[in-house]
Amino acid sequence: MLRIITCYKWAIDEADIRSGADGSLNLSHVTYKISDYDRNALEEAVVLAETMEGTVTAMTVGPPTAKGSLKDVLSRGADQAAFVSDPSFADLEPSQTSALLAKAIERQAEYDLILCGEGSSDLYAQHVGPALAEHLDIPCLTYVHKLTYDEARGVIVAERKLDREVEVVVSPLPALVTVLPDIGTPRIPTLKQVLGAAKKPVEELSLDAVGPLPPPLLETKSVQAATMERKHQRFGAGQDDIRSVVVALLREGVIS
Amino acid sequence: MDFALTEEQQLVRASVREFCEKYVDPIAEEVDRVPRFPEENMRRIADQDWCGIPYPAEYGGAGADYLTYTIALEELSRSCAATGFTLECHTSLASFPLFKFGTEEQKQKWLVPLCKGEMLGCFAVTEPGAGTDVAAGSSTAVLDGDTYVLNGSKMFISNSPVAGVFIIFASTDKSAGPKGLSAFLVPAGTPGLTVGKHLDKMGIRGALTAEVVMNDCRVPKENLLGAEGSGFKIAMATFDVGRVGIAAQALGIAQAAVDEAVAYSKERVQFGKPISALQAIQWMLAEMATDVAAARHLTYHAAWCYDQGLPLSAPAAMAKLFASAAAVRAADHAVQIHGGYGYIKRHKVERLYRDAKITEIYEGTSEVMKMVIAGSLLR
Repeated sequence: MLRIITCYKWAIDEADIRSGADGSLNLSHVTYKISDYDRNALEEAVVLAETMEGTVTAMTVGPPTAKGSLKDVLSRGADQAAFVSDPSFADLEPSQTSALLAKAIERQAEYDLILCGEGSSDLYAQHVGPALAEHLDIPCLTYVHKLTYDEARGVIVAERKLDREVEVVVSPLPALVTVLPDIGTPRIPTLKQVLGAAKKPVEELSLDAVGPLPPPLLETKSVQAATMERKHQRFGAGQDDIRSVVVALLREGVIS
Repeated sequence: MDFALTEEQQLVRASVREFCEKYVDPIAEEVDRVPRFPEENMRRIADQDWCGIPYPAEYGGAGADYLTYTIALEELSRSCAATGFTLECHTSLASFPLFKFGTEEQKQKWLVPLCKGEMLGCFAVTEPGAGTDVAAGSSTAVLDGDTYVLNGSKMFISNSPVAGVFIIFASTDKSAGPKGLSAFLVPAGTPGLTVGKHLDKMGIRGALTAEVVMNDCRVPKENLLGAEGSGFKIAMATFDVGRVGIAAQALGIAQAAVDEAVAYSKERVQFGKPISALQAIQWMLAEMATDVAAARHLTYHAAWCYDQGLPLSAPAAMAKLFASAAAVRAADHAVQIHGGYGYIKRHKVERLYRDAKITEIYEGTSEVMKMVIAGSLLR
């Protein structure tokens, strides 16, 4: 019986972000969603639980507004949810999130596997997974695009998609795995799953249960919209032009 | 007054939207152009538990409310009106009469597979000589021993080429006029039941519509739906419910028209600026958006009336009357805003323009809607 915890972030839907001419961000019309790769992690957890017999607990840390995520996550196959919440959790940075998650997980019954998205869809710092594994003192496997559980040996076998190769790693449990979107396609919740979400248990944990809130280790100086400077270089198709294209590409370091 | 949708209703809208982006949008143009029935998506819709949304779980339904079903229809129709209509015809026209008037045995035998999406249903009341004038139908059903023998022909029957069960209306007593009409459950493949060629329609071309002919078609006595003579009542009650569904379909078409027009107006540059900067375009968009908002309120309110068990005829008629007109106006404005491109195939607004019109005609014309509304005022 595989006891799985998936951690997810209730993140800003980046499609709603508008930017000013000066690069400043306008967040006045943003809605929130379960971070994209966390959805992949949850789907992977549900698939494992279905094939191997197991349970899935979805867990998140966030301000009270993140309560809107609970039925959503429960409709996607989690058996129960844990919600660590306090108004001071509005703009946590990864070291804080991972510390709070670690405390919340330690309070839970025992677990075998923790699944997280490789990074969040808004900041993609890729810190929370590894930091959380450190807090819990368990192995951490990142960039995973394929995961199997070898029940006989009590280990997981993970394929990690690295820059130029795929590395296959075996780890005992408990372990933490961060997943890439290639790991699988999240299913669209059926209507019965949506209606059934309300009946699933939710545990709400306040700051008292997991506190105190550790001070941040990072200070965000500013967040600006990315701009792309266009070089406006034009080339024709003649022999000399082809040479100029090659020279330009060499100069830009696109080719070597 | 709390206008907020429940979390579940919002999640359903989001899941249907995601489904449409993934499966419906990519083939919508092809479904209209060929035309072809979106069979693979109807199967996926069944897998999502969307084939019996407002019916109880004991009959294979999802046990959700009519408003949830309305939202699902709206979102499906926003991507492909033919897909939305196929589901509406199945859920409102075919399943509702069974749910409301069927015996327990009939429900277990027919409603359960319909709600699970194991088969599609269709509703056959219209005839070549009986459209608005339902009672002018000439199909007959004569009791012969333990079977009824049906004879006659039906016209404009949607889903008939793919339906597993037909709800067919025929007269068991011509002398009683409308009070002599009865309803029958006729399984596909019954000897004497034939479905004609698909009709080549202006819009919703992916939905299958055909003539249906009954030629000494025998059905067991147990397949009588409701009592003999209750057919007219069954048809009218079903149309009330179906009208909310058509209003939802029209709402989806109208919303799609607004979406397309807004997006295009921001991109199209003339005289050095996007046409969205022009007041003429802004006023059209404002009218379209207001129409859609009003249509949405009327449609959701009618669905709410069903869920509350309140009288449905007038609210449903108002919703369909207004939403269908809003869809036609919005589609017209959307084509206008697109200019020449709006007249070319493969531009969504060209299809919306053709799809919108039927919502003012079927399941009761706009003229009938006004009759119903006036009737409720002048009683």
